[in-house]
Amino acid sequence: MDALEVITVAPEDWRATLAGVRERGGTLASLFAAAGGDGAPELRCLTVGTAGPALVRAAAAGGTIPTVVDLAPWLQWDEREARDLFGVVFDGHEPHRALVAHPDDLDAWTTPILGDDVHQVAVGPIHAGVIESGHFRFHSVGERILHIDVRLFHKHRALERAAEGLGADAALAVIQRSCAACAAANTVAFAQAVERAGGRRPDDATRRARTLLMELERLYNHVNDLGAICAGVGFAPGAMAFASFKERAQRIVRDLTGHRFMFGSVSVGGSRLSVPPETAAAARAALAALHRDVGPAWRALLFDASLRDRAVGAGVLTPDEARRLGTVGPAARASGIHRDAREHSPGLWYPGFRAALPADPAGDVAARMEARAVELEQTFPMLDELLGSPIAPGRSTVEGPGGAHGAAVVESARGETSCAVEMEGERVRRVHLRTSSFANWPSVARAATGAILPDFPLINKSFELCYACVDR
Amino acid sequence: MFVLLHYLHRLRAETGLERPRRRGALQLRHVDAGSCNGCEHELQAASGPMYDLERFGLSITASPRHADVLLVTGAVTVRMRGALETAYAAMSEPRRVAALGDCALGRGLLGDPREIAGRVEDILPVDLRIPGCPPDPETIARHLVELLGP
Repeated sequence: MDALEVITVAPEDWRATLAGVRERGGTLASLFAAAGGDGAPELRCLTVGTAGPALVRAAAAGGTIPTVVDLAPWLQWDEREARDLFGVVFDGHEPHRALVAHPDDLDAWTTPILGDDVHQVAVGPIHAGVIESGHFRFHSVGERILHIDVRLFHKHRALERAAEGLGADAALAVIQRSCAACAAANTVAFAQAVERAGGRRPDDATRRARTLLMELERLYNHVNDLGAICAGVGFAPGAMAFASFKERAQRIVRDLTGHRFMFGSVSVGGSRLSVPPETAAAARAALAALHRDVGPAWRALLFDASLRDRAVGAGVLTPDEARRLGTVGPAARASGIHRDAREHSPGLWYPGFRAALPADPAGDVAARMEARAVELEQTFPMLDELLGSPIAPGRSTVEGPGGAHGAAVVESARGETSCAVEMEGERVRRVHLRTSSFANWPSVARAATGAILPDFPLINKSFELCYACVDR
Repeated sequence: MFVLLHYLHRLRAETGLERPRRRGALQLRHVDAGSCNGCEHELQAASGPMYDLERFGLSITASPRHADVLLVTGAVTVRMRGALETAYAAMSEPRRVAALGDCALGRGLLGDPREIAGRVEDILPVDLRIPGCPPDPETIARHLVELLGP
């Protein structure tokens, strides 16, 4: 395997280089800052083309670089984070709205919405139920939402900074702390990125083990989300049934990996996961029984008139909006955008995988529900197939020169998650994790625009994003 | 709907939850002070049909004004400290504080120390400690029941 392609350009060529990637059909997956060699910040953009990921770098001369937010609107939060954490000024990205920093002044981070009777409804960071902390400022007329300003990063623990200077294993443990519900996806992305930097290719056993973990994570998250959507409309039988499916799935996860969230299941350089045949057989039987219950329960949701009434047409995210905002995962596929990192994951075990789109990708809550249902119909057979062969420890072998930089993109339950890592010898110099939840929060705000306030919990739950792996 | 109810009826019979022996009820108000969301997931699961926290008289309330117990998850980040203190101040006596999970207890990998205000017990008086990363729903239920008294 070749080392990750790293292209260093002059700051005046930054925009043109990134525009060129787009013109050739590639995507700009993440944009972040790092301390440059001389202490001044540099910008890095993880791009993904037909040949896989590449890294474009440019120094921020005098701490400034031109914005690309007009070329790539989905990188708005990326630039705002780089500004707050590294002080980089993005020329043309004005006004800068604070994202990670929390200045008291409302003008520093909210959008001015003016007009007769417009008022603000401030919600959070503490919410009414058992939910993570985050703040939403609704600009509304009566209950009609005109605009939402999302302020997260209340849970910011600076995990990326905490990982710097650590060896790969210790850094993986820090990265794992970013999110429990995405622990497998985040640590697999990190492990792959470090291995890429080291010119290492994981063997089949490692690829299969990691895919097993990722699909288990997808399973319990998808049934969780369907239950949460029912809870969002007060439909208790659906909420409770799917909560029990999530519990049953997590018990299977615990039996296979020793932990209900798979903490400690992923390692850099290989896989330590070992599943005895009887355990694998029991898990397959339990998954089959779960599948037999999930199917009829999902169909029951389709026939519940009041649930359909709430879900159909609610929180619409159009295909154009999804493309502009860089929506990923089931939410993107529910808006008809065919993108799924599993179609380009040579480091995992997805031979011949094609993303499933809902039959009616209307971009509403109902479509986001259906997206998860059709994906579960892919995940159950994949888990059965993976468990049908031995899950034994695996390793990786050095096959190429490697370099200082590595990167990987995986499809977490909520969509594409990328990890870029820079190694200095055996230690991590910089790690950047851009999760599917980070990608999708602007889409939540967009989808809820035009809805009434009581619809927001439902629309929010139809995305069911994490706060922790955004805040890190 | 009947498919779901039929399934839930079957689930209840199979799960076989014990009848609680203690009397009493407590309203719990949860605050996420900077968690990885593992404790939130397990606390949610504890309210689910396979653990059913409510059969012990323990329920989640929407406001600290109505709460008996402040149930705090996460290593308290600097940005959540103020909100946490505000929630506690809104509770009338008698009130209790429970620190849920290793992060709330200051154990384990918490992140960059510059972003952490301290453990829950550095900020509020803690009456109950529930260790784990995360503690599973049964552990959460077992500890919370202790607050009900003998």
